[in-house]
Amino acid sequence: MLQAHSFFWHYLWTAPNVYLLLLAFMSWKRGFRKQLPVFIAFAIFSALGQLAVYFADILPSVSAENFWRVDWASVLIESLLKFALIAEIFAHVFDPYASVAKLGKLLIRGVGASLVLAAALAAAYAPKDSPYGLINGAHLLEQTIYLIETGLLLFIFLFSAYFRLRPERPIFGIALGLAISACVHLATWAVAANVGLPAAKRVILDFVNMGTYHICVLIWCYYLLVQNIRTKPPKPPAMGPPPVGPFKEDLEDWNQELERLIHR
Amino acid sequence: MTLAIILVIAAALGLALLLWTTFSRSLSISGDASLAGQIQPIDIAAFRNLVDPAEDAYLRRRLPASELRVVRRERLRAMLVYVQTAGRNAAVLTSMAQNALASTDAETVEAARQLVSNAALLRSNATVALFRIRVAMVWPTSGVAHAPVLLGYERTYEQLSGSAMLLGRLKNPAAPVRIAAS
Repeated sequence: MLQAHSFFWHYLWTAPNVYLLLLAFMSWKRGFRKQLPVFIAFAIFSALGQLAVYFADILPSVSAENFWRVDWASVLIESLLKFALIAEIFAHVFDPYASVAKLGKLLIRGVGASLVLAAALAAAYAPKDSPYGLINGAHLLEQTIYLIETGLLLFIFLFSAYFRLRPERPIFGIALGLAISACVHLATWAVAANVGLPAAKRVILDFVNMGTYHICVLIWCYYLLVQNIRTKPPKPPAMGPPPVGPFKEDLEDWNQELERLIHR
Repeated sequence: MTLAIILVIAAALGLALLLWTTFSRSLSISGDASLAGQIQPIDIAAFRNLVDPAEDAYLRRRLPASELRVVRRERLRAMLVYVQTAGRNAAVLTSMAQNALASTDAETVEAARQLVSNAALLRSNATVALFRIRVAMVWPTSGVAHAPVLLGYERTYEQLSGSAMLLGRLKNPAAPVRIAAS
């Protein structure tokens, strides 16, 4: 069962991408295109890229060299979209709160720069796992991207947890799926790029990657398509007269005080 | 091989941290009533007195160096408890305000958003203040604890208190939230 080109292998490579395309279509129909444009673009291009790599693998007319070229192109496009998606998640989580957003932007720039440096060092010290530069480079590129992605997503999770911020359900689901995928892929690509595994054992890493990706696509489907009972607007509380007059003045006073504090 | 082991351990730790934050997030979602019970009101006047540089200068003039260190450490310990409590209150208020964000009333949502922003500002200030207080406890005669962050701290707390009361009144006029004891 855990062999290349087995039924399970074909299913794990194609099914999550088909589901992701369907998810993109349904998200578009449900009006997420304004709220999550980068996620929809990521879902479409990532799925199409993975399917292109799949067909490059199974079609006998495609040479091994061309397969790796297709893989490189797919990884590059997917990684650009992933970083744009991380920026979209960050904006949704922190931008509504000015004080946290300011500090968060400052910190994430520092974390990002440190991660790029760490990823460059990890790539520089990695041994060559293949005599072919195209293959070796692809493995290192994957390791580099997942290292940076994991760090940035963990920062968003920990920073929002510290301030007890609860992102909206779809945003949380997207971030969770992306982060689980990044952590598992980082581990598998680190092994692939640094340990000279024989082809038979490397297939197991492919299954781990594909299985994780499948779970993450299901997480995205659950969080985007299934309505949570808790997020439904609660019944309006029993309120007295409408809050006008002195309440409004209070708010203005506090706003003035806050502005004075910020500009001090 | 060593690099692979380091990266695999880092990824496993990252995954564990991620799952821990996810589960603690789902466990921390509770009702306003239980959250309000977690708030510990703070006497802002007493805190203001503790961080007042004039009080500190007076003690410096009146007490010998060895006694001053003992008194300063006691005052710093009290300050630490105040700031820790305020930081915890800010976190509880953030959770309450996040619950209020689901309201259908636009004014309540705006007040909740304002409260989250104020609470977050207070929580980040509390982190810096706690660090400074701990440094000052090691070196009690320094003025580290009386830095601008700490001096503006009680003002931020008052603002937070006001925002919390406003949100409390908007949600339930009969029972506003109080986080200040004076």
